[in-house]
Amino acid sequence: MSTKPFKGVGERLPLVDGVEKVTGRAKYTADLFPADALVGRILRSPVPHAELLEVDVSEARRLPGVVAIVTGEDCDVPYGILPIAQNEFPLARGKVRYFGEPVAAVAAVDEQTAEQALKLIRLHVRELPIIENATQARAPGAALLHDNKPGNIEREVHNEFGNAAEGFAAAHLIREQTYHTAEVTHAQMEPHAAMASYDASRDHLTLHTVSMVPYYVHLRVAQCLGLDTSRVRVIKPYVGGGFGSRVETLNFEIIVSLLARAAGGTVRMQLTREESILTHRGRPESDTRMKLGMTKDGRITACECEVVQRGGAYGGYGIITILYAGALINGLYDVPAVKYDGYRVYANTPPCGAMRGHGTVNTRIAFESLMTAMALELGLDPIEVRRRNLLPCPTETINGLRVESYGLPECLDKVEAASGWRERRGRMPKWKGLGMACSHFVSGSAKPVHFTGQPHATVVLKLDFDGGITILTGAADVGQGCTTIVAQVVVEVLGVDWRRVRVISNDSAVTPKDNGSYSSRVTFMVGNACLDAANKLKQALVEAAARRLEVAPEQVECLGESFQVAGDPSRSIGFGDATAEALVNTGTLHFKGTFTCPVEFQGGKHRGGAVGSTMGFSYAAQAVEVSVDPVTGRVSVDKVWAALDCGFAINPLSVEGQVQGAVWMGMGQGLCEQTRYENGKHAAANFLDYAFPTIAESPPIDVFIVESIDPNGPFGAKEASEGPLSGFPAALADAVREATGLELHDFPLTPERIAEALEAREREQRAAARKAAKQPATEGAA
Amino acid sequence: MKRILRIRVNGRWREDAVADNTLLIDYLREQLDLTGTKQGCDGGECGACTVLVDGRPRLACCTFAAAVEGRHVETIESQSQNGRLSPLQQAFHERLGAQCGFCTPGMIMAAEGLLRRNPNPGEAEIREALGGNLCRCTGYVKIIESVQAACATEGEAA
Amino acid sequence: MQALAILKPDSVAQAIALHGAGEGARYLAGGTDLVPNLRRNIQKAQKLIDISGLAELREIRAESQSLRIGAGVTLEELCESEAVRRQAPLLAQAAAQVAGPTHRAAGTVGGNLMQDTRCYFYNQSDWWRTANEYCMKCEGDTCRVAPKSDRCYACYSGDLAPALLVLGAEVDIAGPTGNRREPLAALFADDGMRHLKLAPGDLLVSVDVPPQAGWSAGYEKIRVRGAIDFPLAGIAVALRREGDRIAELRVACTGVNSYPGLVPGLDALAGQAPGDAFFAALDKAVRKEIQPMESTLTAAGYRRRVAGGLAKRLVERLYEAAR
Repeated sequence: MSTKPFKGVGERLPLVDGVEKVTGRAKYTADLFPADALVGRILRSPVPHAELLEVDVSEARRLPGVVAIVTGEDCDVPYGILPIAQNEFPLARGKVRYFGEPVAAVAAVDEQTAEQALKLIRLHVRELPIIENATQARAPGAALLHDNKPGNIEREVHNEFGNAAEGFAAAHLIREQTYHTAEVTHAQMEPHAAMASYDASRDHLTLHTVSMVPYYVHLRVAQCLGLDTSRVRVIKPYVGGGFGSRVETLNFEIIVSLLARAAGGTVRMQLTREESILTHRGRPESDTRMKLGMTKDGRITACECEVVQRGGAYGGYGIITILYAGALINGLYDVPAVKYDGYRVYANTPPCGAMRGHGTVNTRIAFESLMTAMALELGLDPIEVRRRNLLPCPTETINGLRVESYGLPECLDKVEAASGWRERRGRMPKWKGLGMACSHFVSGSAKPVHFTGQPHATVVLKLDFDGGITILTGAADVGQGCTTIVAQVVVEVLGVDWRRVRVISNDSAVTPKDNGSYSSRVTFMVGNACLDAANKLKQALVEAAARRLEVAPEQVECLGESFQVAGDPSRSIGFGDATAEALVNTGTLHFKGTFTCPVEFQGGKHRGGAVGSTMGFSYAAQAVEVSVDPVTGRVSVDKVWAALDCGFAINPLSVEGQVQGAVWMGMGQGLCEQTRYENGKHAAANFLDYAFPTIAESPPIDVFIVESIDPNGPFGAKEASEGPLSGFPAALADAVREATGLELHDFPLTPERIAEALEAREREQRAAARKAAKQPATEGAA
Repeated sequence: MKRILRIRVNGRWREDAVADNTLLIDYLREQLDLTGTKQGCDGGECGACTVLVDGRPRLACCTFAAAVEGRHVETIESQSQNGRLSPLQQAFHERLGAQCGFCTPGMIMAAEGLLRRNPNPGEAEIREALGGNLCRCTGYVKIIESVQAACATEGEAA
Repeated sequence: MQALAILKPDSVAQAIALHGAGEGARYLAGGTDLVPNLRRNIQKAQKLIDISGLAELREIRAESQSLRIGAGVTLEELCESEAVRRQAPLLAQAAAQVAGPTHRAAGTVGGNLMQDTRCYFYNQSDWWRTANEYCMKCEGDTCRVAPKSDRCYACYSGDLAPALLVLGAEVDIAGPTGNRREPLAALFADDGMRHLKLAPGDLLVSVDVPPQAGWSAGYEKIRVRGAIDFPLAGIAVALRREGDRIAELRVACTGVNSYPGLVPGLDALAGQAPGDAFFAALDKAVRKEIQPMESTLTAAGYRRRVAGGLAKRLVERLYEAAR
């Protein structure tokens, strides 16, 4: 028997479900399909914008082997992530608004029959003008995607905090620049999949799906099927990545449920990679006009920012995204005045949504890029200029965001030292460069999307006759490792042997509701709830041990696997005996732990003020070293140094992994990733054309963990996986500037773009030289 | 058209009735329930389906089962013996070479193919050998570290 | 997946007999190009003649400085062959840049040379192409890249072909109507739909590389990522340096036309020193030869410009190294 409590947090522990992943035993949704399930397939709109006059399924229905067909007729209940903006139907009704929008679906005995049936469905449409981008959408007289949305505007945001005009008046240098960032998508490795079983005798539906927020899926499926929520059960098996793609309820999850009910059985649905990319909900194409004022010594005096996002065909998360884009201008530096104008615009492209760094990334790219450009213009070092704009801590920003821990200064120090910044910046060899930028992100939204009055997080610990501790949680592990984090928190509090603890997650019939894996809330909020539950369980065990040892509870020392009278090792009992005693007269123990963000953290009082609010921001700084090929324009990222203030690293190994993944995903956006649409049709819905980096060109990423010990996070922890992303593209552009002398504002920085810019500059230089040669020599003397 | 396919899978000879147009990935996943091999793309672009055929990595989604008749197919399920993880599995587990785990089986099989021919690859050789295996979680840093660590433990065992 | 039968011949002769010059038959080797196309229904087959087991296609034979490479040799074997590294290292260099390592372990020399042409209107799912009313190359009648043209502009994207072209390789082809040997260049046609001049049932048996004494050669391609990607443009160069002059020069391109081709008009450069005039003429010749169309998401103008730049850089590099 161990006489020392086991360590849970602060340790470099492998994932508690890692063995399943490396052995192939981990079952993802598509691995669970029973052989006799019906095959579900979706018919998608072949046009980007049209009135849907008729969906004729009569011939398809007659095909032998077709068991069920559903169309927009079968569900007239709209869905969407925001209760105030539900304008999407699982299967199109009346109109189709993007190429690939689901129109009908078939359940058949096998794949071939389902495919064949899709080809027999006749669509009659009247095509409408295609709105491809935000400019077209906003043009006077443009066709409207939604009749109730004039100008194709989903939401405009206009707010001002502090006095921007005064700030600019006090500035020594004012610069303004528009940055274009392409649309990117999550491209999680697991294609979308779901399986629905309908039990007609009980009117019950069981859905296995790839969700990051099974609770939303539960609500929306019940809503669209008109089922009482008690008759729906949602199970999330292993999930192969999310990055925000699976935060919303997705059309196929409802469609497969409609099919299962129509067929009266079990329907499996695996989307192709193309369909998965089309389902999208990624980061919108954005134009960000950024204007900053700076004093001579680099202090920011004011910021004016206009963001236009092409949000795609439906509302989705749009309102939140456009609010985030403005709200998190603050919270990183001390910016005394911000004027923000945001426009979320509809277009005939797949709906955008939340993607890692939700809403904040493209604004951060613009802000950091302009901040560095102005620093250079003032002859200031980019790191130094950031030091001059640090926030005091604790503080509340001008838009009501609370900052209670702030490790950014130390992040800057780490990155500066590790990258050899002082010695190397500005002295890099030809075609090489070193650049840097900073970023931050929330540790969970302090006000959830669906306000229920319930705690922000709830977990249950179960202890039974066997002495096993089961953590019941609805927190969705999609690869980010939250199952491991909750186990670590419980082990740390109780000091028990790891082997005593199991985590059961994401079965709505078993596990408590969780708000889900979005906005990096799980470590902070569910971690705190676990802390609460584990402390309660510990108290019960200590009291039971005290009864057995016949001392007062205060005299009992908890050693994890044993309990002893403090200072007297001869008087102790094991965990099993303590459990047996604790169960007397009550039986199985369940302890619920909860966590609620206090209202003072829930953001400013202005409209939309809750968006961006959090109890703790993560802070990141990174330096990026690149080489540029002058012939091809191709940028190689040679090395990255990234520092992250995650408050406290519950699992430093996991934190490193999250930081590396985030930085690298930022690299993809900065270097090469972009969805493409030609005539309203997607042109890059595969992994050759939507090219994210391979191992061959991905750089070493050194991670430095900064622990600012947040006063509210569990053990001081904050988030670790979104904050580091958004600094990358600006740091990249900064490095490319040093390597090439080019100031680039369009992302990604593809070889094509850089080669074009290099050539344009050569042309200009040649033209200037010709002009100079033509000028009479005397003019120069004048 | 179906044939009786004689094939060795994870060390065992089998005979199964398999249609000629059946892809190796579908044979493994659907007929043999070896679901460790994953489908991540619509054909040949991601490497998640990588298995070994006679010891060399092969994309199961671009290979007909009938085309590897009589040969030895090894999948991720074969890599741990009697409950013991292989050195690569152990290293991917301990060093967080797997996050969501979806690319992991293919990644480990591609790495296994490398280590069988080159037990001590340098970093460049690891990058080279895993170039066809995409991962969206890790940024690849800990995948490289995992393969390096597996080499170190295999060296010790020898 | 379409219904099909897989046939396994014991010899090249039997393979050709099984093929029977039928419309629905295709040879299957590594499958890395063909199988994704079959999955997408852009290539069709009722029977596949699996030639991957034919030992006679898998040999690399070195003879008095020349090389005979079986069409069934995998790209990985090509990269690792001592004889190839010694006598035609360019081939190992080009093969190593094909796709990813797992593709190279299965993909063959013959398959790589005769891979299908590519275009973003063509390499799409059946559903996508249906919605786009297909294209000339498959089931449609219009070239979506150049709607007014009467030809298809799909792009040839093999990495080996330009390397073999500058080495002056010849190919042995067996077929129902007999065997023949011809220069590799004669295999290709400037037509995205019928870029291979092969009769039904013709089978590429081997590639013969003549002696390369005195020549230096290199291959470079531009692609966005470090692996997997097809070339946006690829350039192979072979040259012979004499003193401070380039006595002979051959340049071939891929990824920019419907066929891989030797750049014509370089004879005038033979015997010249590689100075500004030389490179201006080279750049002009390369740009004249290549006519990339908008068959990829990367602009044609960029591919054309880069091809010229790569050619110059390779010539400079090889010239310096040949000192």
